[in-house]
Amino acid sequence: MIIGKNIHKSFGDLEVLKGVDLNVDAGEVIVIVGVSGSGKSTLLRCFNFLEKVNEGEIIIGGRKINLRKSDFSAERGEVGMVFQHFNLFPHKTVIENVTEAPIIVKKIKKDIAEKEAMGILEKVGLSDKAHVYPNKLSGGQKQRVAIARALAMEPKALLFDEPTSALDPELVGEVLQVMKELANEGMTMIVVTHEMKFAKEVADRVIMLDEGRIIEDATPDIFFNHSTNERTNQFLEMVNV
Amino acid sequence: MPDIVITFVEVFLRTYEGFLKAALITLQLTAIAVVLGMLFGIVFALMKISNSKILVSIANIYITLIRGTPLIVQIMFLYYGITSMIVLSNFWAGAIALGVHNGAYIAEIFRGAIQGIDRGQKEASLAVGMNSSQAMRRIIFPQALRRAIPPLGNQFIITLKDSSLVYVIGVSELFGLANREAASSFLPFETFLVVGFYYLILVLIFSSLLRWYEKKLDVENN
Repeated sequence: MIIGKNIHKSFGDLEVLKGVDLNVDAGEVIVIVGVSGSGKSTLLRCFNFLEKVNEGEIIIGGRKINLRKSDFSAERGEVGMVFQHFNLFPHKTVIENVTEAPIIVKKIKKDIAEKEAMGILEKVGLSDKAHVYPNKLSGGQKQRVAIARALAMEPKALLFDEPTSALDPELVGEVLQVMKELANEGMTMIVVTHEMKFAKEVADRVIMLDEGRIIEDATPDIFFNHSTNERTNQFLEMVNV
Repeated sequence: MPDIVITFVEVFLRTYEGFLKAALITLQLTAIAVVLGMLFGIVFALMKISNSKILVSIANIYITLIRGTPLIVQIMFLYYGITSMIVLSNFWAGAIALGVHNGAYIAEIFRGAIQGIDRGQKEASLAVGMNSSQAMRRIIFPQALRRAIPPLGNQFIITLKDSSLVYVIGVSELFGLANREAASSFLPFETFLVVGFYYLILVLIFSSLLRWYEKKLDVENN
C-alpha cells in the first residue's frame, strides 16, 4: 500500500532521516514511536509530501511517485493526514470543513457532499455539531472533525501525526476510540503517537525510530514484552511501560 | 467670536450646493482609488510572496518607488505621462494615480495578513488534496482578508483625505472647490473650516461603516 525505500531527509546540515525503509500493507496499522527528534513526524510528512525527500523512493498503491514534481494534490487525496494541532479551517463550519475538499478537489455536487459528510460526522459522533464553527468545539471534538475531514476524501490510507498530543488528558479517549473503529474497519493507518496503550491494543506493528533510522520493527507483543534492543528498552523505561 | 460663527454659517449656507457636488466627486475618486488599490494590492502581494525572483523584484520596485516618492509628484507624473499618450480626463488621471499609490500600501497590508496565517492552514489544505492556488483562494486568503480589514479601513480613510491632492491637476473635488471659493470670497479661514467639516463628516461615516462591518464578520466567526 505504502512503501518507502531508503528515505533520506535533511534540513540544512541536519540529517533527520538516514535511509528509512518501511513497507505498509493494506489494512495494516503501524505505530511509530521514538524520542523527540528521532524523525517520526518528518517520516510521516514525507509520505504526504509535506516534506520533500532528498533521496529515496515512495510507492503508493503500487505506483512509484515522482518526487521531483511540485504538485502532489492527486497523491494527497489518496493518503489523508491528521495533524497534532487539528488545523481546522476556522472560517468554515464543521460540515463545510468536511465538504470543502470533496467539492473543490473532487468536484462533487454540494448536496451529495453534504449528505456524505453528515454520514461521516455521525460516525465520529458529531452530527449535532455540523453547523457550528470550530472555535466552539473542544480539542477532542476538533480532532474528530479533522478525522472526518480526512475521511471525506475517501483515502486509501490515513496518517496521524501525534493526534492526541495537544489534547487535555480527559479528551484523549474519544479520539483514540474513533481511530480504533477505523482500524477495525480495515483502514490502513500510520500513527505517530506517545499513547503506548493504543499501540499495544491496536497496532499490527510497532516501529521504533532512533536518530533517523528504524531500529526495531515488531509486533506489539514482542516490542513491549520481549524486545532485546537496548534502545527500545531504554525508551520503554522512559515512557513507563 | 460670534462673528466667526455667523460667517461660518453664512459661508456654509451659500456654498453647500457646490460642496455637496464636490463631495460626490471626492467619494467617486475615493471609490475608484480603493477598488484599483485593492486590485493592485492583491496582485502585488501575491507577487511578493511568490517563489519567482522576477515577480518578487517587480513587486519590490513598485512598492519602493511608490512609498519613496510624494503622492503629489506621482499625480503630476501620471497626469502628464498618461495624458501625453492617451486622451484621459483629469478626473480619471487623478483616480488612477490614487489607485496606483494605494496599491503599494495595500499590497503590504495583504502580504502581512497572508503571511500571518498559520502554516498549518496551508498544510491542511494541501493534505486534503488542494493545489496551492485552491488553498490560497479558499482557505488562506479569506482568513487573511478578515485580518486585513482594520488596517485596510485605515488605508481607505487615508485615501479619502489624500484625494484632496488631485486638485493640483484641476479636479473640482472638495479641496479644489474650497481653494477657488476661498480666493473668490476673500474668506479663506471660514471656507477651509467648512471644507474640513465635510471631510470630517465623510470620515466619520466611513469609520462607522467599517466598525459595523468588522462587528458583522466577528459575529459570523463566533
